[in-house]
Amino acid sequence: MSTTTRTTPRASVPDARRVGGLAAANARLLVRNRLTLVDGVLLPLAPLVMLAVTADEPAAGASTVSLALLFAYLFPVFYNLLSVVVTRRDELVLKRLRTGETTDAELVLALALPGVVVAVLVAAVVVPVAVALGMPWPADLALYALMVVTACVMFVAFALWTASWTRNAEAAQLTSAPVLLLAVAGSVVALVPEGVAEVLQRTPGGALDTLVQLAWLGGGADGTWAQALQPLLVLLAWTALALLLAQRSMRWEPRA
Amino acid sequence: MPTTAQHVPSRQPSASQETPAVRVRGLRRTYGRGADAFDAVRGIDLDVARGSITALLGTNGAGKTSTLEVLEGINRPDGGTVEVLGLDPVGDRARVRRRIGVLLQTSGFSGDLTVEETLRMWAATVTGARPVAEALEMLDLTGRAATRVRSLSGGEVRRLDLACTLLGHPELVMLDEPTTGLDPESRREVWRLVRRLREDGCTVLLTTHYLEEAEALADRLEVMHAGLLVRSGTPAEIAAGHRSTISFRSLDPALGDRLAADLRLPARDVEVGAEAGTTSLRTPDLQPVLTDLLTWCREHDVHLEGLDARTASLEQVFLAIADGSAPA
Repeated sequence: MSTTTRTTPRASVPDARRVGGLAAANARLLVRNRLTLVDGVLLPLAPLVMLAVTADEPAAGASTVSLALLFAYLFPVFYNLLSVVVTRRDELVLKRLRTGETTDAELVLALALPGVVVAVLVAAVVVPVAVALGMPWPADLALYALMVVTACVMFVAFALWTASWTRNAEAAQLTSAPVLLLAVAGSVVALVPEGVAEVLQRTPGGALDTLVQLAWLGGGADGTWAQALQPLLVLLAWTALALLLAQRSMRWEPRA
Repeated sequence: MPTTAQHVPSRQPSASQETPAVRVRGLRRTYGRGADAFDAVRGIDLDVARGSITALLGTNGAGKTSTLEVLEGINRPDGGTVEVLGLDPVGDRARVRRRIGVLLQTSGFSGDLTVEETLRMWAATVTGARPVAEALEMLDLTGRAATRVRSLSGGEVRRLDLACTLLGHPELVMLDEPTTGLDPESRREVWRLVRRLREDGCTVLLTTHYLEEAEALADRLEVMHAGLLVRSGTPAEIAAGHRSTISFRSLDPALGDRLAADLRLPARDVEVGAEAGTTSLRTPDLQPVLTDLLTWCREHDVHLEGLDARTASLEQVFLAIADGSAPA
C-alpha cells in the first residue's frame, strides 16, 4: 500500500465558497495598494477616453477598441497576476494556503479572478460607450465574447509561466517583456512591410487585433466566422502553448 | 481504517480511535537526483498515538521538516508508507485536510490585510470553520483584529498563524517549530495552547530544537539525527542509562584523587574528571555515590563549594547524539 504507487487524486470541481473568499481578499489587496490600483484598475480605462476622438470613424474606432482590450489583458490580467503570484509566492502565502483544503486550481482561479473581472468589465463597457460615441454595433457579439474569454485564459497562463522564472516582484518589469512584445506586435501590423506583417499576424496580439476588427466591423461577403477561423486558430494555439508552459513550470514557493 | 469522509469532532470518541493518528513505515525522502541527491529522511518508522503530544526533536537539517511535509501531504514519500488518520495524505487529500491543522515553520501572510480579514479569508477555505471572533479570542488577538499583518510583532504573527491552523477544529495538528523566534512569554502562551489542545482530545505532532520545550510539552519524544530516528520514548526513558553528574569546585587539586581511592570510584564505573576549575563525577547510579561522597566529606570535614548533582538530562543525551559520541 505504498503511497508512491497510488494515483494522483482526482481533480475536483473548484469550490465556489473557497474561491470567493480568496478572490475577495485578492481584490481587496488589489485596490489597497496604490500601484496595483493604478495598473490593474485605472490604466485599462484610459483608452476609453480615446474613443471620444476616434469613434466617428469605424476603422479607427475599432483600433481604439482593440487597444482598450489590449490594455485590459495586459494590465489587470497579465501584469497584475504576474506580480501577485511572485509576491504571494515570496511571502509564502501560496505555500501556507496549500497546506489547507484549498486546491491548486482554486488558488490560481482566486488569484486571477479580480484582474479577469476588470478585463471582462472593460470589454463589456467598451461596447455601449463606443456605440454611444458613434460606432456601429459590433457585427458579431458571440465572436467578440469568445475572443475576450480565450484571451483572458491565455494571458493568465502566460502570467503563471512568466512568474515561474521571475525572481522577485521588481524583476517582473523585465521578465514581462517577452509576453508584452507578443501582445503589442499586432498594433504595428499596419506600419510594417507585408512580409513582416504576415508574421506579426500570427502573434497573439496580431490575432487579437484581427479578431476585434472582424467581430466589430464584420467579414464582408466571405462571412465573419470564415475569416475569423485562421486568427482564432492562432489564438487557440498560443493559448494551448501558454497553458502547457504554465502547467509545467508552476512554482509555489521561493527557490531554496 | 475509516472509509467515510465525515468530519469527526475531536471531543467525541470514534471507532478510529484505536489506530494511531500517524503511522509511518520506512519513510524515505530524497532531494535532487544523481550525484546531487540528498537523503533528508533515510527510512523511519513512527507512530503518533491519538490524544498525545509527540515532539520530533533534532538539530537543523535532521530531517524533521522533510518528515512533516510528507505527513502534511505537501510532498510525496520517495519510499515507505504514510498513514494520517488512517488515510493517505496525498491520495485522500481532501478528506485528510478537512481533519488536520498545519503550521509551517515560516508564516505566510499578506502584510496589507488586517488580522480579521486574513482570518475571514482562511475561514472561507475551511470546512466547518470556527467563527472568526472565536478564533481571535482563542489566540488573544481580539484587540489586534483591525491591525494590518505588516504591523504585528513576530509573536502576534505566529499566533495568527496558529489561529488559521485551528480554524477547522482539527483532530490532528502538525506544528513545525511553533515557537522558534518567539520571546519567552509568547512561547509559554503557545505551550499553554498546545496543552489545551491535548485536553480537548486533539493529537499534536510538533517539531522543535528546544529541549526544554520538548521536555515541558511532549508525552513522547522522537529524536531525529541525520535523517534517522535515533531515540524514542518519554523524556525520562530517553535519559535513562545515561550518566548522572556530581560536580563541585576543585579548591584542593588532590581531592579528586583522594575521593577516587577512598570511595573506590573506578571500580564503581564512576568517571572522575577535572575541567575549568570544576571536578565532576559521572556515574550511572547517582544516589549511592552521592551518599558516600557526602558521608566522606563529613568524616573528613571537607566543605564542597558549588556542589551540584543532577540526573542525566535530555540535553546531555541530545548533545551526545548531535556530536556523534552516542551510538545512533
